[in-house]
Amino acid sequence: MTGARRSRRRWLAAAGIAAAGVAAALWLSRPRPLPATVLPAHAADPRRGEVLYRVGSCHACHRAAPGEVGEATGAPVGTAPFPTPFGTFYPGNLTPAPETGLGRWRAIDFVNAMARGLAPDGRHYFPAFPYTSYRAMPVEDLLDLWAYLGTLEPIEVGRRRAQVPLLPLARRGVGLWKRLALGPVALERDPARGEAWNRGAYLALAPGHCGECHTPRDALMRLDPTRSLAGGAHPAGEGRVPSLRGLAARGRYRDAADLALALRYGEELGFDKLSSGGMAKIQVELSHLPDAELEALAEYLMSLEPL
Amino acid sequence: MRTLRLVCLATLLVSLPFAFAALAADGDAGDPITERQEAMKKVGDSMKALSGIARGEAPFDAEVVRRNATTIAESFERAAELFPAGSDKGAHETWAKAEIWANRADFEAKLQAGHDAAVALQSVTEEAAYRPALGKVGQACRACHDSYRRPKE
Repeated sequence: MTGARRSRRRWLAAAGIAAAGVAAALWLSRPRPLPATVLPAHAADPRRGEVLYRVGSCHACHRAAPGEVGEATGAPVGTAPFPTPFGTFYPGNLTPAPETGLGRWRAIDFVNAMARGLAPDGRHYFPAFPYTSYRAMPVEDLLDLWAYLGTLEPIEVGRRRAQVPLLPLARRGVGLWKRLALGPVALERDPARGEAWNRGAYLALAPGHCGECHTPRDALMRLDPTRSLAGGAHPAGEGRVPSLRGLAARGRYRDAADLALALRYGEELGFDKLSSGGMAKIQVELSHLPDAELEALAEYLMSLEPL
Repeated sequence: MRTLRLVCLATLLVSLPFAFAALAADGDAGDPITERQEAMKKVGDSMKALSGIARGEAPFDAEVVRRNATTIAESFERAAELFPAGSDKGAHETWAKAEIWANRADFEAKLQAGHDAAVALQSVTEEAAYRPALGKVGQACRACHDSYRRPKE
């Protein structure tokens, strides 16, 4: 009799601990969106926004699936699959289409997507969407980008669900991961460097999110800040992504002007290194940037010493 | 007699590595991975000469353009043969992606686009028309590499 009671008590204790664990996990993984009060008074400039759109190569991932609507016009309808070792994602429609795009979003929804990795309904986005880098963007820049997206033609597309095992649970898990991975934003101006260099660093690391592929990750899938842009495993699991450090020493580009030319024209001028592993689509987006932005990007990248 | 033997032995020893090298080269000749990499190297060298002109490193010379564009066009004529089924792996490392064989028709269409752009470049004699015509060749290279070449460290 006492044995049975003790066993029952043990079960209750175990259940209690498990429930507390689940509650703690739910609590820790809850979405923590920014309130609309973070939005500054800002006259958004869609032209500045387009620069960010191009440097971020949004379309390189949010492109149309082959043969589907938006392919010919280059609209960022996001139906093309995005394969990762964790599963296949469909990036989503960035046009202002009300049903399947961002047409019903408010500015704060966009800011929360970019800075917190949250959907308007509070679901966590998988970090295949690189908010990990975008969160270093000032809200003003996000609003400029938002204004640019608002100028696009709305295109409705079919909806596709990410193919990830245990999707809802995995999404919640992303909330826990954010606790570990999203520390303070580390991008700071270097007062010893000039305006162009600092602009280039910002473009490369925040909207450009170069580090998402070119920086190696640690065991928790966080970018390793001590090896920024030093090359890493390819996120789609196909070989390695080259280092962006010591580009001149390794004979890749002569100088910043040479790299700017390479980013502008890629293989059209025989710069064949810029065409594999998904970089070709990015280079095509970068080819739309104004000279000063490309030169800033090139100046920063060429300044990176080998590790 | 003894000297002769020594000379023979020395000759044999010296020539042995060459014999092996020849054998190895012979073995490689039938290997599509090596063959296509050599063909691609040739195309790359021509592209280098052509892009040098476009970058202002060398003067425009219609004859140089014609010669290099012809090298590229000829290489592309038999490029598809250098990617036979099963050559996604081999004795040598290859950066060719498996998608080449999964999307064969698209792959061959992209090779054809490269060929056609190179043929069009052959007959360019005006400097003003050169840069756009070269751009078309480069766009074809980029489109195919983007889909079908793995990143190389």
